[in-house]
Amino acid sequence: MTATLRVRARSKTSPTSSASPKAVVRRVAGHVARGLVMIWVVATISFVIIREIPGDPVRGQYESLIQKGMSPEQAERATAVLYGFLPTGSLWEQYLGYMNSLLHFDLGRSLSTPGVEVTTLIGSAARWTVLPVLAGTLLSFLLGVIMGVYAAIKRSGRLGDVLALSGSLLHGVPVYVIGLLLTAIFATLWPIMPSGGPVDVEHVPGLNPGYLGSLAHHAVLPVVTYTLASYGGWILAMKSNVVAVLGDDFILAAELRGLKRGIVFRYIARNAILPLFTILALSIGMLFGGSIFIEQIFNYPGLGLLLVGSISSRDYALMGGTFLVITIGIVVANIVADLLYTAIDPRVRSGGSA
Amino acid sequence: MSPDPTAPTSHAHSAPGVRVRGLTVVYKTPMGELPAVSNVDLTLAPGTITGVVGESGSGKSTLALCLLNAVQPPGRIAAGSVEIDGLGDVVELGGEELRRARGRHVGYVFQAAQNSLNPLKTIGKQLLDLGRSHGVADLRALVRDAKDLLARMGMDGARVLDSYQHELSGGMRQRVGIMLALVLNARVVVLDEPTTALDMITQATILRIVREVHDERGLTTLVITHDVGAVAEVADDLAVMYGGRVVEHGPVKEVLGDPRHPYTQGLIRAIPRLSGDIGEARALPGRPPTLGTLPAAGCVFRERCDRRMDVCDTVEPVALTRDGRTVACHAAAEDADRRLTAARRKEFA
Repeated sequence: MTATLRVRARSKTSPTSSASPKAVVRRVAGHVARGLVMIWVVATISFVIIREIPGDPVRGQYESLIQKGMSPEQAERATAVLYGFLPTGSLWEQYLGYMNSLLHFDLGRSLSTPGVEVTTLIGSAARWTVLPVLAGTLLSFLLGVIMGVYAAIKRSGRLGDVLALSGSLLHGVPVYVIGLLLTAIFATLWPIMPSGGPVDVEHVPGLNPGYLGSLAHHAVLPVVTYTLASYGGWILAMKSNVVAVLGDDFILAAELRGLKRGIVFRYIARNAILPLFTILALSIGMLFGGSIFIEQIFNYPGLGLLLVGSISSRDYALMGGTFLVITIGIVVANIVADLLYTAIDPRVRSGGSA
Repeated sequence: MSPDPTAPTSHAHSAPGVRVRGLTVVYKTPMGELPAVSNVDLTLAPGTITGVVGESGSGKSTLALCLLNAVQPPGRIAAGSVEIDGLGDVVELGGEELRRARGRHVGYVFQAAQNSLNPLKTIGKQLLDLGRSHGVADLRALVRDAKDLLARMGMDGARVLDSYQHELSGGMRQRVGIMLALVLNARVVVLDEPTTALDMITQATILRIVREVHDERGLTTLVITHDVGAVAEVADDLAVMYGGRVVEHGPVKEVLGDPRHPYTQGLIRAIPRLSGDIGEARALPGRPPTLGTLPAAGCVFRERCDRRMDVCDTVEPVALTRDGRTVACHAAAEDADRRLTAARRKEFA
């Protein structure tokens, strides 16, 4: 889990508890500018790294054609036809060309699936990643937070022990072990679930019940795996937050003022959940990286699988594109997390120069 | 409501009395259940301010919490009663009854500048939470009362109610805490270290407010502090606690002017004075007892006492009340006997 961005701004004098619209715009603009710089830096780094790793698929293709008996000119032409282009020029020229096309949202063409736009590939893979991982993230968050509250309140009882133990256990088990176990149980020993793939091929894609049902059916195991894998972190974080808030003076003060249990509970829950929203926003940002293990195990053609495939086939354009999408996801999530914090934590809101 | 300084105790007749009897609070520790408060008797006369002083760990905060039956685990009230007029024995209360008594009958003010307020809600919203919890029908009137109280304490009510905790200074938060303790018209008010962590000027302001509001509303007030100076300024009566016992209790001027318990005497000697030699202030030798080091028998103060006698090692002194002063000390009892005989002899002579 990443560090929280909790900023405790304190201003003792200001009566401006709600920030003016102008301040909000300035804040967002600052975030966007910083985000763009961040994206540029990452794009540059990944560009350089990708070009510098050994192995060159175009060159490989070219050489294998020569070995097959083509003349160098023929081989070059054939390769160019296959990929639609040939990398030419110095690294610096290539970099400028890359940046120029980035500005036009052009990520280039894939090398491993010749001729197809990288954006198309990423777009179709994203469909298979975003929904299951998003569902898994939200589900585990919800479950972990609720169970975390119980684990904290019942921490001296057996229920609390069991809940905390379930958290530590699931947090410690690697996600691929959970995935393999679930496939072994529900797809092999007791085959009620499909063992892989995103959907049964016999259904016509579209908004028909057969297709949607098959989609949902195939999504169950990946979503459950993802939920179980991240549930442990949420329950442990929530539990410790609630325990910390329970020890805060204002909770005892609320009880001594005779506030209703329900209200006191809301005080506890809202204060304890606050730091988790940052982590939630960041993990939603991370989901654009897909979940490599889960997509491998369940043969889900998502972003994680796309990334692994692009690396193993040395597909520069696709690699760069995938990295870029992950970067943008995280940068945007950071901005969203910070704005979210501004909305829900008054201490951040009023601290203009925090 | 306009305060009339000439008739400060106009409500005093309706102020409730508080009687603590045989109160014992134990804390569960690895060494078994140890008493933090032992067999305490304390009477708060209606309409008075009683100060409780003592070192850290003397049991004064625990005693304060007992007035709301709010001793936190691993502590529990093992014996005794806390009778409050109009409410009955608080120790017997539980569940909803207890919750309603808190805030409505007994107001509690937390330590200064500490976080006794929810950081995520404005003061006004927390005030409404309080009103809803106690079934206040007219929330507008509640807000009006709150604003009046805040204005009374020199603050802009509307603005304070619109603020979050972090937008208020320590002294302002403390006044907000007092407002929340009073706004439901609680007649018994407990202030736990109301001026700790505040600067001198704010301390004086808070104490003045406590005194004024107390007089105006006809309250029965308990002020817990370790600051003898603060107590001298605000209290009518003073109770001195040591090792979970009330060792001396009486009118504040008499207790401070003519302390009878050796601990009270030591405490007063330890206060540095503005006029005079700083070297005259004498710290009490030794350390205050903790839960684990309290002696099982005899006087709890004997280790640090300059008037220790044989009897102190074995017999715990009982609290004796003479001419309005209560003292629990073998030596002080002897002094009192001597004074009595001397007085009689004078009479006969």
